[in-house]
Amino acid sequence: MAVSLDEQLIQELALRREQRWSLYDHPNLIRAGSVMIFLILWEFYGRRVDPLLLTYPTAVAWAAVQLIWSGELIRQLLVSLGSLAAGFGASLLLGVGLGVAMGRSRLAEAILDPHVNALYATPQVALIPLLMMWFGLGFGVKVVVIFLFVFFPILINTVSGVKNVSASMVEVGRAYLASERQILFKVVFPAAVPFIMAGVRLAVGRGLVGMIVAELFTAITGLGAMLTLYGNLFETARMFVVIIVLGLLGIGLIQATQMLERRMARWKETERAVN
Amino acid sequence: MNALEEQALAEISLSPSKGFRVTDYLGLLRASSVILLLIVWEVFGRDVNPLFLSYPTAIARACVQLLISGEFQRQALGSLEVYAVGLVSSLVLGIFLGLLMGRYRLAEYLLDPYVYALDATPRVALIPLLLLWFGLGAPAKIAIVFLSGLFPVLMNTFSGVRTVSASLVDIGRVYGAGEAKIFTKIIVPAALPFIMAGVRLAVGRALIGIITAEMFTAVTGMGALLIRYSSAFATDKFFVPVIFLALLGVILSRAVELLQRRLAPWKETEGAL
Repeated sequence: MAVSLDEQLIQELALRREQRWSLYDHPNLIRAGSVMIFLILWEFYGRRVDPLLLTYPTAVAWAAVQLIWSGELIRQLLVSLGSLAAGFGASLLLGVGLGVAMGRSRLAEAILDPHVNALYATPQVALIPLLMMWFGLGFGVKVVVIFLFVFFPILINTVSGVKNVSASMVEVGRAYLASERQILFKVVFPAAVPFIMAGVRLAVGRGLVGMIVAELFTAITGLGAMLTLYGNLFETARMFVVIIVLGLLGIGLIQATQMLERRMARWKETERAVN
Repeated sequence: MNALEEQALAEISLSPSKGFRVTDYLGLLRASSVILLLIVWEVFGRDVNPLFLSYPTAIARACVQLLISGEFQRQALGSLEVYAVGLVSSLVLGIFLGLLMGRYRLAEYLLDPYVYALDATPRVALIPLLLLWFGLGAPAKIAIVFLSGLFPVLMNTFSGVRTVSASLVDIGRVYGAGEAKIFTKIIVPAALPFIMAGVRLAVGRALIGIITAEMFTAVTGMGALLIRYSSAFATDKFFVPVIFLALLGVILSRAVELLQRRLAPWKETEGAL
């Protein structure tokens, strides 16, 4: 009887047990529709516009096949990634090293932080012409530019991570007669890793920007150089291929860092759950 | 302090008044660090070929020269104008689209594939394409500044609107507020701290956008000055726009912070509670 009473109540209140099928429950359908319509319109109108200025999706796809087939895209991508890895690696080493020093020693901080703040406030792109004067147009200048773009987020996050290490943890370490070295590697550094990884995540995007700008300017090798080249040749379809690759690279790198962040700073979540 | 304590302190050799410690004079240390760098730069900078490195007094002289000739002010004003137009339009459209996408799911689902895709693409990669479309003049620069500023504001407004608690909106509705009232009296004020955080990000990104754009077109503006002086190996003059841009960045982000505190003071109060 209880069941039928419930049933009756639901009917009286005009509440339906099963909701009607709603488009809002299938957001991916809306998204897919939106993208499809956009692509179709682009294809349709793009074919009418002067191909020097605008291209259309099938032309972009065809250009992508050509660029991949000839191996050029892969070659330039590897060059770009090589300079990104070199600049990023150098930044990570020096940024974390200097950051730990500045976070642990007030003396080091007082000496270095006016310079760090001044350089961090300067928009780093403005320094690129100077760097090109100093380091030329080759691999070196790209590494230096990427280094500069990436360095400050890592350094600043490391400093605040090291300063945030709770004093009681360090004291416990001392009480158990840990040496300064052990305190650094077993207490301070692991506690600062979540901050450092947050800096790395910020830095990845900036590093990519630095890489592209440096390559756009030097215009010799790498994906940025391809952009400049095809821009000058009015090969819009090929430009779109490079832009899409750079977008995918951005998404891929950020996803990879987030994954790394979760793996390397696993205790961060645990800590929150315990509290 | 009694005699026993005195004795104990003496025995474990802790003195109540500490001697000279370098960490007590951090401000002095900072200042001397900067002064030392400037002196070293001045001394060594004079020895190096002036084509590659300048020195502080030469930069100061170049600064005075450029200011007197009026060249610098003219280019700076040109840059600022383009910057202002691009930034304001990106803020207006960014906040509008963010509110729309945050409030209406249909708008969200229709637009978010493009927003995420464009947000992930480094905007500098679009510069050659934008130059192709808009030429080398002001429109291309405005477009680049606009695109640089748009996404931080849009994304922050969007997530701000999404975090507005549903009960606030429900109360508004119970008291008979229309959609317009709900927007202006509930959603915008509640999302304002997020929006302002987005504005702060956008101000910095747009500055980078204008510099990069002007360096590329190399016709007018601060970025063009950078290219011109570096191609002419006028290193002393080169540093003048660099310093100006650094100061501009600091001033703008301070200004937005101030605005944020005035416009959204309840954020602090909330934190204090």
